[in-house]
Amino acid sequence: MIKVLKAMIVREIQEHKVAFVYAPFFVSIVLCFVIASVYFGGTSIETEQFNFSTEYYDEEIRLAMQSVSSISRIDIVRAALVVLAFPILLTVGFGLLAYSLSTFADERKDRSLIFWRSLPVSDLTTVLSKVLIVTLVVPLMVVPYIILLQLVSMISASIFFTSNDIVAFSWLWGSYIFTDWFRIIFSLWAQSLWSLPLFIWLMLAGTYAARPIAGAIVPPVILIVLEGIIFKTNTVLEFIENRVGFWSRSDSFPKEYEEIRVVDISDIFLLFSTQAFWIGIFVSCILMASIVYVRSSNSDHAID
Amino acid sequence: MNTEVVIKANNISKKYDDSYALDGIDIEVSKGQIMGLIGPNGAGKSTFLQSVLGLLKTEGNLEVLGLDPRKDRHKLLKEVCSITDVAVLPKWMTVAQLLRYMEGVHPSFDINKCISILSRTNIKLPSKIKVLSRGMVVQLHLSLVMAINAKVLILDEPTLGLDLVYRKDFYSQLIEDYYEGNKTILISTHQVEEIEGVLSDAVFMNQGRIVMKDSIESINKKYLELRPDQKYLDDAKSLKPLHQRTELGRSVLLFENVEKEKLEAFGEVRPPVIANLFMAIMETTKQGDLK
Repeated sequence: MIKVLKAMIVREIQEHKVAFVYAPFFVSIVLCFVIASVYFGGTSIETEQFNFSTEYYDEEIRLAMQSVSSISRIDIVRAALVVLAFPILLTVGFGLLAYSLSTFADERKDRSLIFWRSLPVSDLTTVLSKVLIVTLVVPLMVVPYIILLQLVSMISASIFFTSNDIVAFSWLWGSYIFTDWFRIIFSLWAQSLWSLPLFIWLMLAGTYAARPIAGAIVPPVILIVLEGIIFKTNTVLEFIENRVGFWSRSDSFPKEYEEIRVVDISDIFLLFSTQAFWIGIFVSCILMASIVYVRSSNSDHAID
Repeated sequence: MNTEVVIKANNISKKYDDSYALDGIDIEVSKGQIMGLIGPNGAGKSTFLQSVLGLLKTEGNLEVLGLDPRKDRHKLLKEVCSITDVAVLPKWMTVAQLLRYMEGVHPSFDINKCISILSRTNIKLPSKIKVLSRGMVVQLHLSLVMAINAKVLILDEPTLGLDLVYRKDFYSQLIEDYYEGNKTILISTHQVEEIEGVLSDAVFMNQGRIVMKDSIESINKKYLELRPDQKYLDDAKSLKPLHQRTELGRSVLLFENVEKEKLEAFGEVRPPVIANLFMAIMETTKQGDLK
């Protein structure tokens, strides 16, 4: 079973290497380049919500940084590093959505479904391998890119401060919590489990619909409209909205976060204790069973 | 021949809307048989083969190697390998990636044997499948199947799109494997003349029904073709031939269960080729239906 799953996961990565390998790699390299450029005076990033420029590292800021407590300083550095990783996470997130929608649709389109189903692999194993890609493998694959980006940021900052006679090396690296790598991994796994009903729904649309995008959008829209008209509620819409967002910021998560920060491992266990999480897993299991049924009933190539 | 039944199909039916793709099919295939399913388009050959592979839900009782193909499809496919449609290999893969994948998921796949078979073709391991010609994709697919050490082979039009040289090569390789491994083979093709020498049994199908099934040995004993001298034509016809046709201006009469010695008095006698027998049986059946 492990050997079969390994072969299937390798196959999925080979097939979708643009989404899972090249795209996040490209984004992380561009980000590394931009960050290094900012530190070495080449450019600056200024938006309404976010400013990133060495011009802000003036005497006043430097004194302010030195005057804050070490705990606050650590939180600032950790939050900044999390924010930096957002473009990579968004890229992979979109990659996973596109993967989920196309993975079963493509095998019907190019008729390779006939070949895959001629091999001794059950439909359930096939679905499980794709779920593992979404929940376990791709979140793990993205972490090296995040680490690369963080290290480039830290090294660039260290060089910048040192070359500007600012003694920040020890507090800067002292604030960089290497165990955050593991928090990020577990947080991404939690996120993929939290958003799993969406991914599996897209897979189901690719399995049954002639036009997968329409198959993914139309039924939920009908459900939302019908629910609004009949029950005057919006449970389905809220469910979808919640699953699109970060798990730690969902309505049902018992802890409130005021700022962007790396979540604690204990928060993941807190997530597992919520009813909403298990409702999502239950819905995912039903949708997975539906995919297995529809895929095994697919006999459009059957007549001679 | 071993009489262990490998495929047992009783009253298998499959209905699409108002028409039957399969209509009460009864077939038993024993270990070591090479059974050919012969019939025109729409006869139900592919539908039957797909039901044997568990790819289609049908009515009736179907057992393959003692398993229900629908319920135990993935277990069954460890022992049964198949080509139900050629040129459906994933185009984005390279040949090497496909071979590695097969090695990972198929316990009976011999990657070295496959590489050895491929070395006799122009297919290169680093090539992407999408750049291969249709014939090469079929060659690759057949190479994969031949490298699986399976008990049962299900082949649906396996050589469609292949040139004559490779078709001959494939069938000779198939025969070699068959004698080495005592495999059971169920094969359907339109190119009946190419598999005629390979088959141990033939099943004629039309419109979802079995028109005739018999061993080649028995067919050769039971049916004889007579090319009578013109002067004996009427005498020969008095023996009530099953079917009559004209070939290069000469009458050819097909007889069932008539002694060879009797016929030899009127002209040249030989067993019919399967394609001709099939055509004769089809026409006879059609006439019977009309009556």
